[in-house]
Amino acid sequence: MNWQVIIFDIFTYGMLVYASILMTIYVCIGIFSIGETRAYRRKNSFTDYRVIASSSEAPSISILAPAFNEGATIIDNVRSLLSLNYINLEVIVVNDQSTDDSLNLLINTYDLYKTNYSVHQQIPTQPVKAVYKSHNPVYKKLIVVDKCKGGKADSLNVGINLSKNNILVSIDVDCILEQDALLKLSKPFLEQTNKRVIAAGGVLRIANSCYVESGRLVKVNLPEQFLPRVQTLEYIRAFLLSRMAWARLNGLLLISGAFGAFDKEIVIKCGGYNNKTVGEDMELVVRMRRFMEEKKEPYKVSFIPDPLCWTEVPATFKNLGRQRNRWTRGTIETLLSHRKMLFNPKYRLLGLLSYPYWLLFEFLAPIIETFGFMMFILFCVTGMVSWLCFFIMMSIFSIGVLYSIFAILMEVLTYNQYKQNKDILRLVLVAIAEPVIFHPFVVLSAIKGNFDLLRKRNAWGVLTKEGFSHHEKNKL
Amino acid sequence: MIGLLQVSMMETLLSSLIPIIASIKLFLTFAFVIRLRTLGLVIIFFTIVMVVLLVFILIFIYLKNKHEKKYAKYKIISGLLIRKAVFFDGIMLEETLIPVTKRATKLMVNNRFRKLFTEDLITAKNNITGTSAENLKHLYRQLNLHKNAFQDLKSTRWHIKAKAIQELNLMEIIEFKDNLFPFTNHKTELVRMEAQTALIQFTGFEGLQFLDTITYSISEWQQIKLLQKLSNLPPVHIKIDDWLKSTNNSVVVFALKLARNYHHFELHDLILTCLDHSDAQVRQQAIYCLGEIYTNETSIHLISRFWREGLKHQLLIIKALKNIGSENDIPFLLTLLPIDNYEMKLAAVEALAFNGKKGLSSLNSYCKKDIEIHNISMQVKEELVA
Repeated sequence: MNWQVIIFDIFTYGMLVYASILMTIYVCIGIFSIGETRAYRRKNSFTDYRVIASSSEAPSISILAPAFNEGATIIDNVRSLLSLNYINLEVIVVNDQSTDDSLNLLINTYDLYKTNYSVHQQIPTQPVKAVYKSHNPVYKKLIVVDKCKGGKADSLNVGINLSKNNILVSIDVDCILEQDALLKLSKPFLEQTNKRVIAAGGVLRIANSCYVESGRLVKVNLPEQFLPRVQTLEYIRAFLLSRMAWARLNGLLLISGAFGAFDKEIVIKCGGYNNKTVGEDMELVVRMRRFMEEKKEPYKVSFIPDPLCWTEVPATFKNLGRQRNRWTRGTIETLLSHRKMLFNPKYRLLGLLSYPYWLLFEFLAPIIETFGFMMFILFCVTGMVSWLCFFIMMSIFSIGVLYSIFAILMEVLTYNQYKQNKDILRLVLVAIAEPVIFHPFVVLSAIKGNFDLLRKRNAWGVLTKEGFSHHEKNKL
Repeated sequence: MIGLLQVSMMETLLSSLIPIIASIKLFLTFAFVIRLRTLGLVIIFFTIVMVVLLVFILIFIYLKNKHEKKYAKYKIISGLLIRKAVFFDGIMLEETLIPVTKRATKLMVNNRFRKLFTEDLITAKNNITGTSAENLKHLYRQLNLHKNAFQDLKSTRWHIKAKAIQELNLMEIIEFKDNLFPFTNHKTELVRMEAQTALIQFTGFEGLQFLDTITYSISEWQQIKLLQKLSNLPPVHIKIDDWLKSTNNSVVVFALKLARNYHHFELHDLILTCLDHSDAQVRQQAIYCLGEIYTNETSIHLISRFWREGLKHQLLIIKALKNIGSENDIPFLLTLLPIDNYEMKLAAVEALAFNGKKGLSSLNSYCKKDIEIHNISMQVKEELVA
């Protein structure tokens, strides 16, 4: 046995072991998500949300909506937030020194005036220029903050400093929330008995090609373009399977920054959002969990499978690449800053399962895949490639597709947002095409994210969104 | 020469790995049965599974569409029957029969139709009141649907049991009342929640007797639900004393809410004892409660416990003083202003601003020597005006 064969064997069997573990995790995720989704839906069938919609005993919520150059949609989006079905609510819009007319639009539309608000800097932030409230009692829930540029995390921290309520809900101002989204998201906080619920998240769905009217979703459509459509499948897989499964284990590490609820007391004790990372949403959840583990207090991070929030996803490779690059950098930064927890039994499930999973199968997966692919090419060139390698790759491919089809099945059996038969068939076709067209690009973007982090390129990356307004011409 | 040496060292190193690799290979060979043919079979297997899943989805969609068509037909029959009951204008005696078509009677044997009809009936009953609602209850009994619900109560599956309790509650099957109590302390949360709600629905405030025996925690959600149910009933005097002494902390919290909502001023002293409870939630609720149920002495008791509590409860105490405080509390509130905590300052300023002319003038005097307090008081005064 010469050394080339040994390297070849290490590579082949190493890849096989890695792939086998990953596939086993997929199967476990599938099983756990079925259990969790079924339990939630059964429980939910007894729930009458009208009980808290009108109750003064409902927990008080502060919505934190950071905004930067959102002038095109901000008026409709704020109106949509103000009309949400919830009684104990304040909506804090934080203008992060937009260069467009967002602030003026808000001032004029909502009849805002500058208040004498003194902001308590319990979390250090960039200076606040002014705090506005409305003369009109109809908009009494609205607070608009104008602040110096500091990024999304900094804007959220300003919102936290200003908020008066017990639950913080962070949202992207361009997202569309379901009318009952807050009622559903607040329920886990009310159900806690022996474990403190520190955060709760809901399913994000894709709004591209959907019909939107005055900041409200009127009709759900499967995206017409390929990239948003493939991301639809990706989101179904991530939210309906993966996050539900991790929620069942109470091992969830990520609540999406686009829509998530947090216990304010714990957020403040943890020091708020970290503005040194581009993955501030994941970092906060990990820090909150770490805090609770270190305090040895029983806690839970909940997740709701109901579609609560609709968002527009990148429709071009350029924007998608920037987004995935940022996600990768955010993941690495979070994992690095909490590396102490890796395989540390003191952090129980968090250190022994959740963290290693993210390290091995979220952060390392693109690197291992790229390495595997390059080795495969090398073996092909040197004539060392065997059918074994090829079959391993094919197995991985077929299991990936199988997992996607299972996700589609779960969607059809549960929330079935895409009611036309042809939409389901389109999703199945996307599931087959994804590993060939979409996945390699995502992997490359992740690799680029790794390099960018090494070169200390920490830009957020500008994402240009098409906005929903162009669909308004096609109102129902 | 050096290059050759390195190669030979590398080969030595790699050759030492041979047994390890060989054993891993052997293990994997046995463990995963890795052979070309087997892997080929694996791919074929997964392809078949994919196709089967795809076919399953297609069949599922086909059956769903078919079912929906049937469902639409059932929905029409169910709607007609419900409408007939709603608008039935005969004199409603126990033996009165609301006319039911032969087709509908036949369909009642069909599980799916019966389930759908029951759901529709419950929805309709929830949305109407008066004679029409009574007619719907009558129809429910006439079709013996309550017997199915009684059968479901024996189910070992919690969601069927809980659904049956919910159904019997909504259709007001009063004879069910006597069997209800044991379910209020059922091991499954949803079953006991539905049973507790039903008991209150049937017996009003008397139904709260389950608080004497419950050993499980009552969630905040369930407390809100129960308070809402009770708010629809005419208030009666309830004996809360024992619940305030319960060993179940959630019962004490709920009793404090009852005391506050129904203004049980006679319980003031007992509520004061809850300020020394070991459970933080009980203490928190007691502070809230004392913001509503108070005497001239209450603020003294709250202030005496102030420094023992954490910041969260301290802020609640200041908020309570804002509602109930008198001029006597002003010196205490002024001592809080120099404390290096913004929330504490804000709460104290608010309490002073609300404490009549004397409170406001004390605050104004303090503002002259402390710019931060001045800024906070400007904000508070602006909010007062708004």
